[in-house]
Amino acid sequence: MRWILRLLVNETDRRTIEADLAELHELRRRQNGQREADRWLRRQHLLYPLHLLADRLRAAAIRRVTAMPNLWRDLSYSLRTLARTPALAATIIMTVGVGLGATTGMMSVVRAVLLNPLPYADPDNLFWIYTDNPPFKFRFSVVDYRALEADHPAFSTVAAYQSRTVTLTQGDVAERATAKSVTGSYFPLLGQSALVGRLFDPSDDTPGDRIAVLTEGYWSRRFGGDRSVLGRTLTVDGESYTIVGVLQKSTGPLENNVSLFTPARWPPPRRKGPFNTMAIGRLRPGVSPAAAREPLRATNAALFPIWKSSYQDEKATWGLQELKARVVGQTGSTLWLVLGAVACVLLIACANAVNLLVARALDRRREWAIRGALGASHGRLLQHLAVESAVLAAASAGLGLGVAILAINAVRSYGEGYIPRLNEVQLSLPVVAWLGALAAVSGALMFTGGLLSVVRGSHRQMDQTLRSGGRSATVGRGPRRIRHALVATEFALATPLLVAALLVLSSLDRLQHVSVGIDPTHILTAEISLPSARYPEETNRRALWERLRDRVSKLPGVEAVSLADSRPPSDAGNLNNFDLEDHPTPPGGNQPLSTWVAVSPDFFRTVGLPLERGRLLDAQSLRDNVIVVDRAWADRFFPGQEGLGRRLHEGGCSTCPWISVIGVVPTVKWTGLEAADEGTVYLPFVDFPNGFVMLRAAGDPARLSAELRAAVRDVDPGLALANVATGTELVSESLATPRYLSVLVGMFAVAAMFLSVVGIYGVMAYFVQQHTREIGIRLALGGAPALVHRMIVMQGLRLVAAGVAVGVPAAFMTVRFLRTVLFEVGAADFAMIVGVPAGLLLIAAAACAGPGRRAANMAPADVLRET
Amino acid sequence: MKLQHFELEVLLAMIRERRETYSVPLVLALEKQTGRRVAQAAVFIALSRLEAKGLVASRLDEPDGGRVRRYFKITRTGMAAAKEHHHEHARLWRGLGRLLRADKG
Repeated sequence: MRWILRLLVNETDRRTIEADLAELHELRRRQNGQREADRWLRRQHLLYPLHLLADRLRAAAIRRVTAMPNLWRDLSYSLRTLARTPALAATIIMTVGVGLGATTGMMSVVRAVLLNPLPYADPDNLFWIYTDNPPFKFRFSVVDYRALEADHPAFSTVAAYQSRTVTLTQGDVAERATAKSVTGSYFPLLGQSALVGRLFDPSDDTPGDRIAVLTEGYWSRRFGGDRSVLGRTLTVDGESYTIVGVLQKSTGPLENNVSLFTPARWPPPRRKGPFNTMAIGRLRPGVSPAAAREPLRATNAALFPIWKSSYQDEKATWGLQELKARVVGQTGSTLWLVLGAVACVLLIACANAVNLLVARALDRRREWAIRGALGASHGRLLQHLAVESAVLAAASAGLGLGVAILAINAVRSYGEGYIPRLNEVQLSLPVVAWLGALAAVSGALMFTGGLLSVVRGSHRQMDQTLRSGGRSATVGRGPRRIRHALVATEFALATPLLVAALLVLSSLDRLQHVSVGIDPTHILTAEISLPSARYPEETNRRALWERLRDRVSKLPGVEAVSLADSRPPSDAGNLNNFDLEDHPTPPGGNQPLSTWVAVSPDFFRTVGLPLERGRLLDAQSLRDNVIVVDRAWADRFFPGQEGLGRRLHEGGCSTCPWISVIGVVPTVKWTGLEAADEGTVYLPFVDFPNGFVMLRAAGDPARLSAELRAAVRDVDPGLALANVATGTELVSESLATPRYLSVLVGMFAVAAMFLSVVGIYGVMAYFVQQHTREIGIRLALGGAPALVHRMIVMQGLRLVAAGVAVGVPAAFMTVRFLRTVLFEVGAADFAMIVGVPAGLLLIAAAACAGPGRRAANMAPADVLRET
Repeated sequence: MKLQHFELEVLLAMIRERRETYSVPLVLALEKQTGRRVAQAAVFIALSRLEAKGLVASRLDEPDGGRVRRYFKITRTGMAAAKEHHHEHARLWRGLGRLLRADKG
C-alpha cells in the first residue's frame, strides 16, 4: 500500500495513517483474534487508496465545475480539432464504439444466462435431483419421486413435474402447446404466486376435478388478459379442464414456452420407468450439497431391491446438481468464448485508437509548444487532452449503446433454442453502467496515450520543438516505444483470436462433412400427438396411424410414407439399456446402452436406407420380437462377427422374452452429427401416442407441407401438426450452434486482424514520415532503394513477430479451452497454430510494403531540399 | 456551513470526546454509536475536509521512538457549525414527535 499512499498523501500523513492503522489492528486483534484482525487490516489497505482516490476525484470534479467556462472552451475546441481530422475521429469512434457495443451486448447475455440467479425464491438452494449412472444423468421415474417425496431429510421441500406436448382445442382450431403436470409442492417450492385466481397446493395432488393454471404469456395471447377467464374450460388432449388461475409473469427457464400447468396425479407406477420426471428440491438451511448426497444414496439403495424386476442397474444412484447449472448446461463455455473474443476486439480497438492518438499528438507537439510558451499551464493542457479523450469516449459509448441494443436483439432472435434463459436477456441498468465503465476505461487509455507523448515535453523540450519548427525532430524514444508496444499487443491479441476462429471453422467444416447416413433431400417430417382422451387404447392408436399412413401415401408426389418416434440427425427418442445373451452383464455391472428408434416397416424405404444383412422389419415384427440394428451396433458388440440372430433382453428385463436381431442396416446419425456412433436398434412402431410422419417426395418436399396438413385434418380435425421440417432443414438445424459460433468468432477475428494491420501500417507510415531526412541522406549517399525497402519491412515485421510470439502460447491455451465446443481436434489443428503466425507475418509484410515502397521511391534531392 | 452527513458524525463524535483526539478513538466511538464498521480512511478524509473548512485544527505529535499521531481539536467555527446544525434540525423536528407517536402503523 505504501507506494500508492505515497502518491496520494504526503510523507507525514502517510506515517500517521500507518501508525493509526497499526493501533486499530492491535485493538482488533485483542478483541476478535489474529485472523479477523489481519483480514480487517488487509481490507483497510485495499480500501484506503480507493477512498482517497474517490475523495480526490470528487474534489477535482467540484473544482472543474467551478471552472466551467474553461471546460466549455476546451469542449468546443476539441470538437473543432476533431472535426478537422474527421477520418481519424470516425475511425476511433467506429472501432471503439463497435467493440464497446459488442462487448456490452455479450456481457448482458453472459450476465442473464450465467451470472444472474434464477428468478425464483432463494435460487441458490434449488437443486435438480437425478438418477446418476455415469456418464449419464437421467431424470427420475415416478417410483423414484414417490420415494423421495416420502423421505428427503436434506431437503425442506421437493417437487416434480413432467413436460408434455398437448393439443389444445378451442372450437375447430387445434394448436400444439407445452403443458406441465406439476406436484402441489411445485409452486410453493419456487415461491411463485398467482396473478389471477389461485395456483396448485398439495391438496390438488389427490384425484378431483380436472383443473389448469395458465401461464401469463398464454393467458395474454389466447384470452387477451381477460380476468374473467376463471371457471372457463379448456380442452387439453380431448379432455375438459377448468381454469383456476393464472401464474404471475415469469421469465424463468422452467416456464419458458410453457402454456399451462395441470396437477400431477400420476397413477401408482407398476414399474420403475419411464425416466421422464424432473425432480427438484430446496436444501434445508445449513445443509451442503455434499451432505445431501448421502441420504439420497441411502433412499435409493433402499428402493433398489423393491423394483429390481424392472430396473437392475445397481450402480445407478441418485445425485444432485444446482438447478441453474442444469438449466445453463454446456452453453457456458461457448458464451465465455464469444465474450472473450469480443473483449479482445475491444482491447485491439482501444490499442489502435491510442496508437492513432499518439501519432496525432506527436504531430501536434508544435501546437502544444506554442500554447505552453504563451503561458498555458500543464494543467490546462492536460484538461484539454482529457476533454478530447472524453469526447471520443462519449461518442464511442453512444455508438456502443446502439450496437449493444442491436447485438442483444440479434442474440435474442437467432439464439432461440441454443441459448437458455434468452427471455431474461435485456439491456438493463447494470449493463448500461458496464458500458459506461468500459467507455471510461477506453477514454482513460486514450488520455494516457496522449499524455505520455505530449506531456513528456518539458519546457526545455518545448523550446527545442519550437526552434526546430516541428519539422525535423524525430520522435523521442518513449512515445515510439509506446506505439510499438501497442502494435505488438494488437498482434498478440489477434493471434489467439484467429486461431480460435479457424479452429471453430474447421470444426464446422468437419461437422458438415459428417454423413447423416441417409439422403435427407427429399424427406419431409412432422410431429403428431394423439390426444389420450380420444385414443386411449392401443387398438385406437394403431388404427389411426394406419389410416393416416394410407391417406398421406395417396397424396400426389409422395413416394413413400412411414412413422417413427425419432428424427435424424439429432432427435433420438430413447436411450435404452439391454443385456446381450452372448455378453451378459455381470451382477452389479452397468448394462450397455444404445439409441432405440421405433419405426414402421416402410421407414427404411422412405429414408433410402439399404439392407446390409438379413431382412427388414415387417407387420409381424412386434409379435415375433425382432429388431434391426445398424452397422455401428453390430461392430460395437460383435466386431468381425455375424450380428444376425443375436439375442438380448430389453431394459435388462430377465423375465421378458428374448428379442432377436434379424437385419443390419448402415449407420445413421440420431444423437447429433458430433456424437460418436454407438449403435442404433430399430424396433417396430405400432401404437405409440406420439410420432413423426416421414415421407419421401418425388420433388421438393417443402411443397408438400400444406397437403400433409390437410391430409392430417382429413383423418382427424382434432389432430395438430407440429414441427414440420424437411430433412435438409433438420440437418441444417443441428449445425446451427457451431455455425453461429463460427460466424461470430470469425467476424471478430477478421475485425481484430484488420485493426492490427491498420495499426502496423500506421506505425510504419509514420516511421517513414519521421525518418524522411535520414532515408533521403541514405539514398543520396548511394544506398540501394531495395535495401531501404527491406529495412522498413523488417522493422515492421520485428514488431509483429514480437506480438505473435506472445500470442502463440495464448493460442495454445485457447485450444485447451475450446476443446469442449470443438468437434474432433486433431494434429492438423496444431499445424494451424503454427500457420496463423506465418499468415499474420505475411499480411503484416504486405501492410509494411506500402510505407517501404514510399521510402524507397523518394527522390533524395527533393527530400533534402524540403527538410 | 454545509456539512456532509459523515462529516457531521465525526464532528459530533469530537464534541463528545471533549478534548483533543486522534483518529483511532474516533473510529471506535463512531462504531459504537452507529453500530457498523467504520473505515479509518473515511475518518481520515472527513477530518481533512473538516480541517480544510476550518472546523477543526490539528497538530502533529511525534514523540521520540513513539507512534506519530495527528491530534485534532474542534475550533470555535466548528462549535458554531455544530450548534447551527442542531438548531436547524430542532426546527425541522418541531411538532413532529406528537404526530409520529400518534401514528401507530
